[in-house]
Amino acid sequence: MALGTLALGVEAVGCAAFDAGIKGAFGYPGTPSTEGFEFVEAMIHEAPEGRVAQWAANEKVAYDLALGVSYAGHRTLVTMKHVGLNVAMDAYANSALTGVRGGLVLLVADDPGMHSSQNEQDSRRLAKFAWLPVLEPSTVQECYDFTWRAFELSESLQVPVMVRLVTRLAHCRAHLVRREVLAPIGLGVAPKETIQDWVLIPSNARRRYVDLLAKQPRMVTELSSMNRIVAGTGRRGVAVAGMGRAYFEQLTLEHPELLDLPRLEVAAYPLDPGLEPVFLSLVDEVFVFEEDYPVLEERLTFQRAGTIHGRMDGALPRTGELTPRLLKDALGLSTADGKAASTLDLPVRAPRFCDGCGHVDAYEAMQEALQNIGKAEARVFGDIGCYTLAAQEPMSAIHAVVEMGASISMAVGAAMAGQTPSIAVIGDSTFGHSGLPALLTAADSGVNVTVMILDNRVVGMTGQQPSQALDQVERMVLGMGIPASQVQVLTPLPKQHEANVKAMEAALQHPGPSVVVFRRECIQSLRRGVLKEHDQELKACAEQACCNTEARQ
Amino acid sequence: MSEPRIHGIVLGGVGGQGVLSLAQIVLEALRRSGLHALQSEIHGMSQRGGSVHAQVCFSEVPLSSPIIDEGCADLLIALEPLEALRYVAMLRMNGHLVVAEEPQVNMEGYPPLEDIYAALKAVRGCHLVDTEDLARKLNHRQAGGMALLGMASRFLPVSDAVWHDVITERFTAKGARVTEKNIEAFNAGRGLVQEAVGV
Repeated sequence: MALGTLALGVEAVGCAAFDAGIKGAFGYPGTPSTEGFEFVEAMIHEAPEGRVAQWAANEKVAYDLALGVSYAGHRTLVTMKHVGLNVAMDAYANSALTGVRGGLVLLVADDPGMHSSQNEQDSRRLAKFAWLPVLEPSTVQECYDFTWRAFELSESLQVPVMVRLVTRLAHCRAHLVRREVLAPIGLGVAPKETIQDWVLIPSNARRRYVDLLAKQPRMVTELSSMNRIVAGTGRRGVAVAGMGRAYFEQLTLEHPELLDLPRLEVAAYPLDPGLEPVFLSLVDEVFVFEEDYPVLEERLTFQRAGTIHGRMDGALPRTGELTPRLLKDALGLSTADGKAASTLDLPVRAPRFCDGCGHVDAYEAMQEALQNIGKAEARVFGDIGCYTLAAQEPMSAIHAVVEMGASISMAVGAAMAGQTPSIAVIGDSTFGHSGLPALLTAADSGVNVTVMILDNRVVGMTGQQPSQALDQVERMVLGMGIPASQVQVLTPLPKQHEANVKAMEAALQHPGPSVVVFRRECIQSLRRGVLKEHDQELKACAEQACCNTEARQ
Repeated sequence: MSEPRIHGIVLGGVGGQGVLSLAQIVLEALRRSGLHALQSEIHGMSQRGGSVHAQVCFSEVPLSSPIIDEGCADLLIALEPLEALRYVAMLRMNGHLVVAEEPQVNMEGYPPLEDIYAALKAVRGCHLVDTEDLARKLNHRQAGGMALLGMASRFLPVSDAVWHDVITERFTAKGARVTEKNIEAFNAGRGLVQEAVGV
């Protein structure tokens, strides 16, 4: 790849990690973070030289893999979306106490406006919760430059460093200028005298927590060059961070008078607590433009309530994505008079199941089976994936979707509360991500629950990445303790409909836990031939009995 | 000194039509023409037949916002007529629309086509392209997108040579024949406006 290249914001982070000499990259797919891992994975694939890139079963596993690489003395990147950090939070928060050996950078992509997520939580809050630094770029080039900086900081402060993006930056494509490429150089495994730092038994953890708090002033000092006050002439000021910083900067091109406003520009946290009083002494009122939660705004409001304008006082909407228009409106700038919107009523074109998708056949079998046993009104617990589309009209086949893996546990809970039948619908990758422990509990409890695993053999929704559960689903189900007599594997095809309905009826009527696996490859994946090579190898191996792939089937 | 002008292009269509791919070609062509350009895309569920759109901003000075404000876009490239109507208010008063006539009816309640065409024709600067007819004439089923781009190129500060280079590089992996057919579709689209302007 040339030194100048077009890249998305998340790709720029992946690219910088490669260039900064990482040994390993890990992640779990999730919009809008996915392409960050895929970009560095492609670079590693092209020039491995001992580097590894590995999708993990879930975000916590990914994070711990990265922490292991760091322990072994190498630089490493781990990527996830904002809600994925909830899954990895145990590892993230505790790695603040262990500290790192090789630089560890965590890319988190937040999704304000919930373009493809179940909430719009702000990862800056989680970084503060863990007492860890977070860098917040506002352009694609900054994504690249800040990631380099994050590796340097991680090693100098000996803590993990988060690089926080939001959807608009994660999926902004722009020209990127790269630096030199470093080969992965090992610092050597964490030295013997530091072993106790890594063993978080209470006596060590207490000491390490004190150490972490003692690092805070150094974090502030090392990050101070990334935050600045720009003096102006007026008494009205702005505090800007992330995309708020990007949008404001661009507004100054068309409205140069905005350059007179005193500004607080923030790109890294923790902030120097001395910065805000100095800034506030320059201004009588402040507009705060930041993406997502009112993090900066809350800090400023504590110091000067009543004169800080943003999401908390109603100057900006409390929820949703920040836009340049919101900045213009808040600052009282004129907006352009464009063409009139169409007066024709434009129905929404919602995403839908692909033509020929196996999930549709699985749901149709479920709905007909419920009808046949007189339970058409049964409530079904869904999960996160393409199959979530079934919550929409007219299918309305699932009636709760909360977070990865929730379907099975919620169905078990509801069954314990007396709901019959109690059904969970979960995809193969989500099952591997966080359905497994729930199924262990389901088997142990023995309650009357029916778990449908829609196995399309890939992580469908985020672009057909490899599923860790590939060829393993039945073995996993049996291993969790579901009796073989209550495990059925079906093919969701229209021609199998009658047989599938009957099988579903049997599962629904069984008084204990039962699992029905509907297996058919995602048609997008099939079209792209994602598993073609894998399946050919599997077939050849089975024919020659040359290895243990038979056991994997 | 006058403020630098920031230009905006909105691209709209249905998942699977190649909106994002088209946006990337536009982005690269602008960049090669010495302009500063940014592209923004929203594509969480893009392969599932929902609405997809992308934006490209460009200027002679470096930009930091990938988002175009309502009423500020210069050009709308829409691969589907109903999708085009969603973004009309994004355009400035004298902005242009280049719109494929062929509908994608994969939803409930798709309005009558004649209503959609009438609404589009009422917008000043709208250029409708019979992409189906063009595809037939060129014997190239997927000519639509490239033909629209050809027509749209009339409104963009990019030379023919740069467009051809970028398109060629984009399709090289798919072979000389595919590249040739796409250049042909682009040129056919480019020819359409020349005729329209000439009238």
